[in-house]
Amino acid sequence: MGYSVTKIIAITGKGGTGKTAVAALLIRYLCKNKEFLLAVDADADTNLPETLGCEVEHTIGDAKEFLQEIATNPRPEHPDTNKESLLQSKIYEIIEEMPCYDLLVMGRPEGAGCYCYVNNLLRGIMDKLVQNYDFVVMDTEAGLEHFSRKIVRDIDSLLVVTDASRRGFRTAERIRELVAELEVNIKEVHVLANKVTDANQGKIEKLAGDLGLELIGMVPLDPKVEELDIGGIPLSKLPDDSIAAEEVAKIAKKLGL
Amino acid sequence: MADEFPFEISPMFEGERVRKDSMFVELGGPKSMGLELVRAAEMDDIEDDKVTIVGPDIKEMEEGKTYPWAMVFNIGGELVESDLESVVERRVHDFVNYCQGIMHLNQRYDVWMRVSKDTAAKLDSFEAVGKAVMMLFKTELPFIEKMQVTFYTEEAAVKEQMDGAMDIFKARDARTKDLHDEDVDVFYGCTLCQSFAPTSVCVVSPDRIALCGAINWFDGRAASKVDPDGPQFELEKGECVDELGGEYSGVNEVAKRLSGGEFERIKLHSFFEFPHTSCGCFEVVGFYIPEVEGIGWINREFQGEAPNGLTFSTMAGQTGGGKQVVGFLGVGVNYFYSPKFIQADGGWNKVVWLPSTFKEKIADAIPAELADKIATEAEAPDVDALKAFLQEKEHPVVAGWSAEEEEEEEEEEEEETALEAAPMMMPAAGFQMPAMPMVSGGAGGGIKLTIKNAKISIEKMIVSEKKAKK
Repeated sequence: MGYSVTKIIAITGKGGTGKTAVAALLIRYLCKNKEFLLAVDADADTNLPETLGCEVEHTIGDAKEFLQEIATNPRPEHPDTNKESLLQSKIYEIIEEMPCYDLLVMGRPEGAGCYCYVNNLLRGIMDKLVQNYDFVVMDTEAGLEHFSRKIVRDIDSLLVVTDASRRGFRTAERIRELVAELEVNIKEVHVLANKVTDANQGKIEKLAGDLGLELIGMVPLDPKVEELDIGGIPLSKLPDDSIAAEEVAKIAKKLGL
Repeated sequence: MADEFPFEISPMFEGERVRKDSMFVELGGPKSMGLELVRAAEMDDIEDDKVTIVGPDIKEMEEGKTYPWAMVFNIGGELVESDLESVVERRVHDFVNYCQGIMHLNQRYDVWMRVSKDTAAKLDSFEAVGKAVMMLFKTELPFIEKMQVTFYTEEAAVKEQMDGAMDIFKARDARTKDLHDEDVDVFYGCTLCQSFAPTSVCVVSPDRIALCGAINWFDGRAASKVDPDGPQFELEKGECVDELGGEYSGVNEVAKRLSGGEFERIKLHSFFEFPHTSCGCFEVVGFYIPEVEGIGWINREFQGEAPNGLTFSTMAGQTGGGKQVVGFLGVGVNYFYSPKFIQADGGWNKVVWLPSTFKEKIADAIPAELADKIATEAEAPDVDALKAFLQEKEHPVVAGWSAEEEEEEEEEEEEETALEAAPMMMPAAGFQMPAMPMVSGGAGGGIKLTIKNAKISIEKMIVSEKKAKK
C-alpha cells in the first residue's frame, strides 16, 4: 500500500477480436517487469482466467448476490451488521492470488431488484482495493456496462482492440462515441489492431484512416498464440520470442507502462 | 502521531490488502475462527492499557500458517454503558486496519486478519498492536476512560470465547430488533435514488426500511458516521407533528430541501395522506382498489396481474420517479413487519390482496385473524372476484362499504385517476419499463389508456376502469 498512483488500463472491443489475449499479454508483460497488478475480468463472455492459466471459483456477481440477499432479508438476523465490511470481506475472499497478480472476475449480471445500495458499497470497496496495486488491467465487454455503473471510476487508458473486419472497426468507433457520453473519467482512448497479417495490414490501415482512428499498435497474428489457444494452454506459457508479445511490449512502452 | 509503535499508523492503510505471498500469518478468516468483542466493564475491573495474550504470541507463530483468533476489549468510563458496545465494536475494524501491514476484514464472529511479513518482523509481540488500537480508541472516542484487551490464539480458548460471545450477540440483536421511531432522535435520509428520481426523498427510520429494502436505520447510522457527506446522512427527526401518520418536522424540512420544494410534507406511515415518495427501486408497490376500499400489494417478483389488471412493472412505472402518488406506494418488504405499517390508514385491516407467493413469504407478518381474509390471485384474479371474496370472509374493509354501492350499480361509472407520469428514466438495474397494458379480455371490462403529449415524455397518464354492467 502507499503506491502513489495506480494506473488503470481497460481493454475492450468486439467479441472475437482477441482482446482477452491482448489483456493476457499485457498482464504477462507487466508481470515480467515485477509490477504488482490486479487483473479484472469484466466481461461475462470472456475467459481471462483460463487465458492466464488460473481457475476462479467465485465472482463479484456472487458476492453481490450474497450481500443483496442479506441486505434485503425482511427479517434480518443481525439488523446492525456492517454490510460494507461484510461485502469487503467477501470481495477480498474471492480474489484469486497468483504469483504476481491478483485476479477478480465480475461474473454474472444482477438479478431483479434494486442494486443501488450494493453497487454503492462496491464502488467504495473497489476504490480502496485498487490503491493496493501498481496497475489494474481490466478485460471488459464492448458495452462498457461496468463503467456506466462506475464500479471502477477512473480509467487511465482505454485500449480498443479490433481485427481487420469492418465490424471490428465500427465497434471501435462506437466505443469511442460511448466514452464521450459516459460520465467516467477516461484519460485516453487508443485503438489497437490485432491478428494483423501481411495480407490484411493494408486493409486495416485504410479502415483506420477512413474512420479517423489512429492505431497505437498492430499486433501480428502469431502462430504460437494460435497454437496455445487451440491446445487450451494458457498464454503465460508463451515463449518470449513470440511476435505478438513483442508488439504488446512495444505498445505498453508507448502507453508509458 | 505514534513514534512509540514499531509500525506506522494511519487511516490511509484502511483497505490495505496483505497478499498471501507477503503474509506472515493469518488470524481467523474463512479457514479458521475469528472473533472480536467489546464489553463494558466496571472501571475497577479494568487495568488500563493492559494487553493479555492467551496462546502463542507472534514470535511463537509459524510463517504462512492460519491461527484461530479472538480479541476481547473491555471498556470503562462514566459514560460507558452496554448499549455502546456494538458502536465501539464497529470501530475495531477501522483501528486495526490503521496499523500498517495488518489487514482486518469483517466483524463479530467472522473476523479475518492477516499480518504482513514486514510488520511481523518489527513486532516482538501482539502487545504493540493492542496498545496501538487502544490508543486510537481513546483518542477518537474520549468517553472511553479505561480499556484493556485480551488476544486469544489458542483454539480451545478461542472456542470458549466464541461460545460466550454468541449469546451476547443474540441479546444485542434482540435489542436492535426492538428499536422504534420513538426511541431515537435521528432518522437517516438517502439520496442514492436521486440520480434517476431527482425529487425522491428516502427517509429511513427504525420502523421504516428504505424502499429498496436494503438500507435500514442501522445502515444509515453506520454510513453517515463514515461519510457524513455520502448518500446516507443523518436527519434530526424534530417535533412529532402527527404520531399516527408518522409526520416529523425534521423530515418535512428535508423533504422540502431534497425534492427541490416539490414536497412539503411526508408522513412515514401513511398511504393516502402525504405518503412517502416512491423512487423506482421499491420491492413492493401498494395500490388502492377503490371498488373495495382496500389496498393491494404486488411484489417485483410476481409476474402476473393484480385485480386491477395491472402488473408490477406497469404500476412501478406509474408510481416511480420520486413522486408522492396518492393511491400508490412503494415500500421495502421489511416494512410489512413494521408495527407502524401504514398505521394511519388502518394498517393490515386495509390490506385486501397479495400475490400468493408473497403472502407465503411474509406470512409471519400478517395478523392471524386476517390471514384467511386477504385474497391472492388464486381467489381473486379480478375486482369482482375480490369483492365477493372479501364479503364472504368478512374482511374488515367490508364494514366500510356504504349504501353508495347501489347507486354505483345504477349508473355506469367511469373512474378516472389522473397520474403524473413518472419520468422515464429508470434505474439501469433490473428495472422494467412499464409495458402498455394490453386490453385484457376478461369479462367485465379491461384497461383503457390515454396518453397525451407522448412525443418525448409522457406528461399525463389516465388510467380508467370501465365497470361491467351486472
